[in-house]
Amino acid sequence: MQNAKDSFYMALRARLIAINPERTILLRGAVRPGILVEEAEAPFSQLPSDVFVLRWLGLGVDLDLDSTMAAAECEIVYQTAGTQSFGGLDRGRSMSAMDVELVAMLQPFSTPKLCYTATPPAAMLTHVFWDEPSFGPVAAQRDRMSRSVKLMVYSYQEQGE
Amino acid sequence: MSDTAARNPVGAPQMLADALLRSLAGTTALLRVTGTNADTNMSELGLVTTTFAEVVVSPAAMRKLRPSWTEGGECKWELLMSATSVAQQVSALDLSSAQSLFAMTLAVTVAGQDYLIESVASNEAFGQVYLYRLLLREASQLAV
Repeated sequence: MQNAKDSFYMALRARLIAINPERTILLRGAVRPGILVEEAEAPFSQLPSDVFVLRWLGLGVDLDLDSTMAAAECEIVYQTAGTQSFGGLDRGRSMSAMDVELVAMLQPFSTPKLCYTATPPAAMLTHVFWDEPSFGPVAAQRDRMSRSVKLMVYSYQEQGE
Repeated sequence: MSDTAARNPVGAPQMLADALLRSLAGTTALLRVTGTNADTNMSELGLVTTTFAEVVVSPAAMRKLRPSWTEGGECKWELLMSATSVAQQVSALDLSSAQSLFAMTLAVTVAGQDYLIESVASNEAFGQVYLYRLLLREASQLAV
């Protein structure tokens, strides 16, 4: 399932660059697209604002098929406090913009599966695909608005995985 | 708290803080900071080993905060750090501010125990920081 998780993240990362190249984050001394995998970064005392944070939750396996199918639940969390120039009064608009970006990033609902342990990444035989996102309600905490979106990511296990 | 009164900045508060930290059995804290990130896909996926550097800050003093036990909760500590030492390291690493140094710190090691930074506060006098206070949480043991 790790190849599917990696491929899913890299697909969303590439799509975000195309959709909104200005959404970036300075992390570990490098400016990167504003999306990250929580489990691949140092622990956060507070999640960074205005970036998409991927968090992997549940895992299911269907063994009754010709090829084993694995499904992992992905939670995408993002929060914003608006912009400085608006004094944070545009935080609702910023949240809406991130909602739209996420919907665009998730389409199309599939991407080729690659093995990123190889250099360059090696294409595998199957695709990673996912279902429609389930948007949770906005949680407002003082000046900060956050939302959690959940979806299932599926992939067939290939030989050697 | 900052003092906005018009006075010439002097080094007395820093020297006094350093002397107090030393007299309180001042120890050495190691800030584990990430090296320059090449921003490869691999590093974002947790596939490559990130290079680390250890920044030495001394004198420093640890104090355990009032225990508030929770299931699975780790002890919390406060690390008092010399502002002069932090300023020296900020200058040596060519960083813009102490906040940048703390932002790139993955863990703090004191007496062989790793801690994670929860929050950072500072004390000022005459418009200058003389002490940094880091709220720390004990880190979990990492696999070898």
